[in-house]
Amino acid sequence: MRKFLALVLIAALGAVLIAAVVNLPEPGTTDSPVHTHVSAGYIKGGHEAGGADNLVTAVLLNYRAIDTFGEVTVIFTALIAVLAATSLAGPTERSGTQNIDLKTTRVPVSPVVSFVVRLMAPFIATFALFVMLKGHELPGGGFQGGVVLGAMLILLALFSGRTDKTDDEELPPGLRNWIRAAGPLVFGALGLTGLVFSGWLFSLPDHPFWREMVMIGLELGIGIGGAAVLVGLFRALREG
Amino acid sequence: MNVLLTHVDYIAAVAIFLVGLYILLVKQNLLKKILGLNIMETAVFAFIVTAGMTDNGVPPLLGPDAVGPFASPLPHALVLTGIVVAVSITALALALIVRVKRECGSVELNELGKVE
Repeated sequence: MRKFLALVLIAALGAVLIAAVVNLPEPGTTDSPVHTHVSAGYIKGGHEAGGADNLVTAVLLNYRAIDTFGEVTVIFTALIAVLAATSLAGPTERSGTQNIDLKTTRVPVSPVVSFVVRLMAPFIATFALFVMLKGHELPGGGFQGGVVLGAMLILLALFSGRTDKTDDEELPPGLRNWIRAAGPLVFGALGLTGLVFSGWLFSLPDHPFWREMVMIGLELGIGIGGAAVLVGLFRALREG
Repeated sequence: MNVLLTHVDYIAAVAIFLVGLYILLVKQNLLKKILGLNIMETAVFAFIVTAGMTDNGVPPLLGPDAVGPFASPLPHALVLTGIVVAVSITALALALIVRVKRECGSVELNELGKVE
């Protein structure tokens, strides 16, 4: 019954949505509104006004900088909420539920997989750094590099940090928390620098060298902070 | 019929969206509901990025010798923001599911209804 009702609802919604999308401009045509309004201005003046060859980075870090600041704040807030939800005091084990001892039932790690993961890790980290540092002129950017770096760290944690909860605490907790907050902190600090030097919040310096330095700083802060937040989410969920 | 062929990209996004919505509505397992939500989000991102593409276009990278037509950069930036928010939502939902499992011993909605 539930499935039937859901299918009826989905058929109705699908008919409405398809009727709506077929009236949109054909995808790929250059005279549709998505290409003619602000995007045309970005492509025309993006190199001078946006300050980056990669227009997506220019939109993220310059045209819509406040939006991106909110974005790094959102992901940091999500980490805080996840840590709060998984670590608040409560009944840790409910009596009567099945209680499998994960440590004894785990399959041992294959030495081949473990070796390949550790062999690949430095190359993945280098690639992540390249994506972050070159994000203003090549495809890439802070978030993308941060995801690559975070995925590499999670992969490593899957194979090296699973026997004992304490042996993957490489960083002291104070430093770890600062790195997790690196995204909002670096972005906020550089935004305030823009206010001091050119009078506008989140504005970039006019000098090309300093503009590039500020952009690289923003990308590194977003990337490393984002990677730390991803690893923090993974660990909070694994230990919870 | 012709319009269905030219807009097949959009219709595919609608189809993926409906698959996700069906999972969200019908499945009783909370984890599967989150998976359905993720499928819906993916469909929305695919739809927005498709709207920004150009036929025979190139990525919006302005170099010394870059020639258009460029894909529209704005949808890409918006979707990047959307993906980050989607990751945050998924992580928070998973943490709440961990909490529910710890407190009530189940992640199935029809079993959770019986918990006092």
